[in-house]
Amino acid sequence: MAIAEPRTTERAPEPQRHWLVQWLTTTDHKRIGILYLLNSFAFFFVAGVFALLMRTELTAPGRQLVTTNGYNQLFTLHGTLMIFLFILPVLVGFGNYLVPLQIGALDMAFPRINALSFWLLPVGGLTILSGLLAKGGAAAAGWTSYAPVSEQGGAGQDLWIVGLVVVGTASILSGINFIVTILRLRAPGMTMTRLPVFVWSMLATSLLMVLATPVLTAGLIMLFADRRLGAFFFNPAHGGDVLLWQHVFWFFGHPEVYMLILGAWGVVSEILPVFSGRPLFGYPGVILAFVLITALSFSVWAHHMFATGQVEFPFFSATTELISIPTGVLFFNWLATLWRGQLRFEPPMLFALGFIALFLVGGVDGVWMASPAMDFAIHDTYWVVAHIHYVLFGGTVFGIMAATYYWFPKITGRLLSRKLGQWHFWLMFLGFNLTFFPMHELGLRGMPRRVADYLPDLGWSFLNQLATAGSFVIAASMLVLLVNVVLALRRPRTAPADPWEGNTLEWATTSPPPVHNFDRLLEVRSNRPVWDARERARIQAAEGRT
Amino acid sequence: MSAVDLTSDERAVRQSSGPVLGMVVFVASEAMFFATFFGAYFTIYSVNPVWPPAGFPHLEPGLATVLTGVLVTSSGTLQLGVRAIRHDRSRALLFWLGLTILLGVAFLGLQLYDYSLLGFSMRDGIFGSLFYVMTGLHMAHVFGGVVFLVLVLLQGIGGQLSDASHDSLEAGTIYWHFVDVVWICLFTTFYLVGLR
Amino acid sequence: MGVAGLAGALLAGCAKQGATVQGQQIHDLYVLIIILAAPVFVGVEGALLWCVLRYRRRRGSDGRPVPQGAGGPRSLAVFFAIPTVLVAFFFLLGERTLADVQRREPNPAVELRIDSFQWQWTFYYLNEGFFVTGRTLTKVPVIALPVGAPVHVRLEARDVVHEFYVPEFLFMRNALPGRPNEFTFTPTRIGTFRGQCAEFCGLHHDQMRFVLKVVSQADYAAWVDQQRKAAQRVDCDPTGPLRLVSKDNSWNTGCLAVGASGPFVVSVSNQDAGIEHNFAVYDSAKRRRTYFQGPRFVGVAEQTYQLRPLPKGHYYFECDVHGPAMSGSLLVK
Repeated sequence: MAIAEPRTTERAPEPQRHWLVQWLTTTDHKRIGILYLLNSFAFFFVAGVFALLMRTELTAPGRQLVTTNGYNQLFTLHGTLMIFLFILPVLVGFGNYLVPLQIGALDMAFPRINALSFWLLPVGGLTILSGLLAKGGAAAAGWTSYAPVSEQGGAGQDLWIVGLVVVGTASILSGINFIVTILRLRAPGMTMTRLPVFVWSMLATSLLMVLATPVLTAGLIMLFADRRLGAFFFNPAHGGDVLLWQHVFWFFGHPEVYMLILGAWGVVSEILPVFSGRPLFGYPGVILAFVLITALSFSVWAHHMFATGQVEFPFFSATTELISIPTGVLFFNWLATLWRGQLRFEPPMLFALGFIALFLVGGVDGVWMASPAMDFAIHDTYWVVAHIHYVLFGGTVFGIMAATYYWFPKITGRLLSRKLGQWHFWLMFLGFNLTFFPMHELGLRGMPRRVADYLPDLGWSFLNQLATAGSFVIAASMLVLLVNVVLALRRPRTAPADPWEGNTLEWATTSPPPVHNFDRLLEVRSNRPVWDARERARIQAAEGRT
Repeated sequence: MSAVDLTSDERAVRQSSGPVLGMVVFVASEAMFFATFFGAYFTIYSVNPVWPPAGFPHLEPGLATVLTGVLVTSSGTLQLGVRAIRHDRSRALLFWLGLTILLGVAFLGLQLYDYSLLGFSMRDGIFGSLFYVMTGLHMAHVFGGVVFLVLVLLQGIGGQLSDASHDSLEAGTIYWHFVDVVWICLFTTFYLVGLR
Repeated sequence: MGVAGLAGALLAGCAKQGATVQGQQIHDLYVLIIILAAPVFVGVEGALLWCVLRYRRRRGSDGRPVPQGAGGPRSLAVFFAIPTVLVAFFFLLGERTLADVQRREPNPAVELRIDSFQWQWTFYYLNEGFFVTGRTLTKVPVIALPVGAPVHVRLEARDVVHEFYVPEFLFMRNALPGRPNEFTFTPTRIGTFRGQCAEFCGLHHDQMRFVLKVVSQADYAAWVDQQRKAAQRVDCDPTGPLRLVSKDNSWNTGCLAVGASGPFVVSVSNQDAGIEHNFAVYDSAKRRRTYFQGPRFVGVAEQTYQLRPLPKGHYYFECDVHGPAMSGSLLVK
């Protein structure tokens, strides 16, 4: 078995300081990755509680739990925190931990900037949340913060703006770090065409972070200038343009949603091959799909604005339809990976399969909305709420759960309980569909988004009750995960290096890896070096016996 | 810190270093940032039948042309500094770098002086908003660039720069040229074109 | 898979028919998309389920090699081709419906100007010469339209982005400050339809409702007549000091009356914190002549104005910020 020379460049061990100081000042990508995961799940919890409060309020007509202003703050903070403080950072967190390992590097290209990128996140997130203490409450204009509504409101809205600028800066710095790391720090033999799919997905995400996030930052500055510096960017009475906000926001906003899904596509594309015993079908096609989607994501933005009546319908409808083509290619490649495999239904695989089933629903939803005339009927209704949750939750969050179960042993050195993982999966799958499938029908019955209350004679009550029940089932499923994690962390660190028979380099080192990641680096001759090594060993053992 | 292993089957081409590549990517993000403002400018221009709107003067290129000259010259002096260090002429580098910094500071001062002559503010209407936000953000970027170059100068004075090792200077130069290009776009947009 | 089919059938049945010509066209598109998308959806979910059932690792299969083929350019081409064909269909079908829906119907029978503001609507019947307005949190406007006749709408907004949405018409359109929108539709069914703002517009977005009744031509004529008469019939008596209070962007009264002898005082109380109102007096809702215009002031605050004597007659007062939604009659007797 040919292995490259053992690495002699070792990182100096960190001086023995108090563990809190160590964690606060770490520049080790593995620890920073763990910090990202902890911070992200904390905000997931907060935003999830906000969701439960909203669902409880909407169970029945009439105001039961929160004031109207309170409800408006809840949906604003729920969306903002989930998108900016949970989904993107958790993917970046897994990326931080895994990308250097998967490419056989010692760390990210800029470890100190990596640490800064992380710490900006709790600062930004807490700034946004601190709006709850401001006069008038937190931001309450939706996560999309349309002008001119977002030009009203008090300090809470300003804190939202500032917090998002901070979070956006973290994104941009992360993106730069990933791009330079992936382009410059790959191990010998790891050409771009042998890069793990997850690394490709992080590269694509990083390109979007770097190119699209600055557009949001610019828009936020314009909004702040209008609010506090006497500017008129979005004020038609003084020469400004209301629609400008929507163009700027969605030019960022659509690439943003691809930032939120690409990492999950990468995770699923890693897990399916491992638990099918087959290579990823059509690896070049998957990469091509990522590249095309990344590029096309900048061309579809005004499909969020069909109902304004003032955008080029055919162009944006066409580009929106086009972007579904490479997405379809991804589905076919995943199915073909499963075909004639030997499927093992460990929890990572359950969540990956759930991802495919549910993301398909969200994608098919989009077919209706891509047609402007159809969009006139369902835009700004609960149909859209169903769609976004099928792609972001049924899609990305299921992908995140898959990643959690998949990489937990590598990160902590312990195995999670398979039984509890199954409970988690089925509760979450059932609860999720119970919550969000009825919302398609609610949208068709005319229930608009972002309403704190509705009338009793509209036939919406029962469907809302179903959705609320489902949301508590989801909450229960997350408790199961919490219990699983707590129990696992109390066990000793006995997880093997390669508990799943994986393909990529992270499985060629201990669980967890040493500070310097690898004692010996495998030779890389394909996009699944660990599989290659295992196959070689198996063949040699078989030959040795004959 | 980080082991930079070139992959064995990559041709032996001199690749840009990590920090320089990082700066290129950063400049790309900044380009998108400024592009958004230019997009806003032309969007608003397209919905206003009169431009500049009533109450705003047609901006005269006089002092702004001087500003452009100062910044373009500073890009030239900085590039001469890079050439100097590539020939290991450290003293020449310090001279050109110092001159660049002075020109950068001169740009900032002259811009503030120009502001005082203009006679309108951000609150007077959309044109004021656009002008001050866009040129103001650019000034902030020039300031950041000056700070960066001062740090590089200190590195140079400390003897840390040579032909073999001057990534910070290369990175700073890329950033400085970018800031110059943005100014040229601003100058063209606000002072040279688009009246109706 | 049965679940998916059932879901498809449910969804097909659940889209409303559409109570306008354009709405029916949109409904037809909805059904067409279902017909095309359902087999794809069922097919992919079915393939997934089949793989899960057929290819689970069974005991004793360890050691049997798993096929390692990963496809090539041909499979890639097929994978690209299938969605491309589907997408072409979706795009063309969508464009055709869009053209139908966007087509401006000539010779509209009713010309409506719809003004939206935080948080209600004002419907101006331009040909008939009256308006119907809601009052925030207080009054949901009820308007009528004749069945079978085209209606032309000019949709505007006074403050933030709103959205005119009638679910049973399968239609919505944004109202954008500074960028009016125009569209036409022809109601095809007599009935009572709800409408609601669908673009989040601030605090009371969820209460910004209206009711749209589609009635026969005869009933419509009668309703128009009734509206015109009601506008002229407003009456109240001069009883003491004139006091206007604004709360939730609505005045406490729609009628002020004063005797014709001499100047008079109006006190205005703005109880809406952070919101601007003012008090102005015109000849009529058309505002051709201004008799008084007070400054805009932010609540919570009080202002008192002394007005010059006005000749006997029927005047119109309003808050200029919110227009007819905050208006009434000033009678000088």
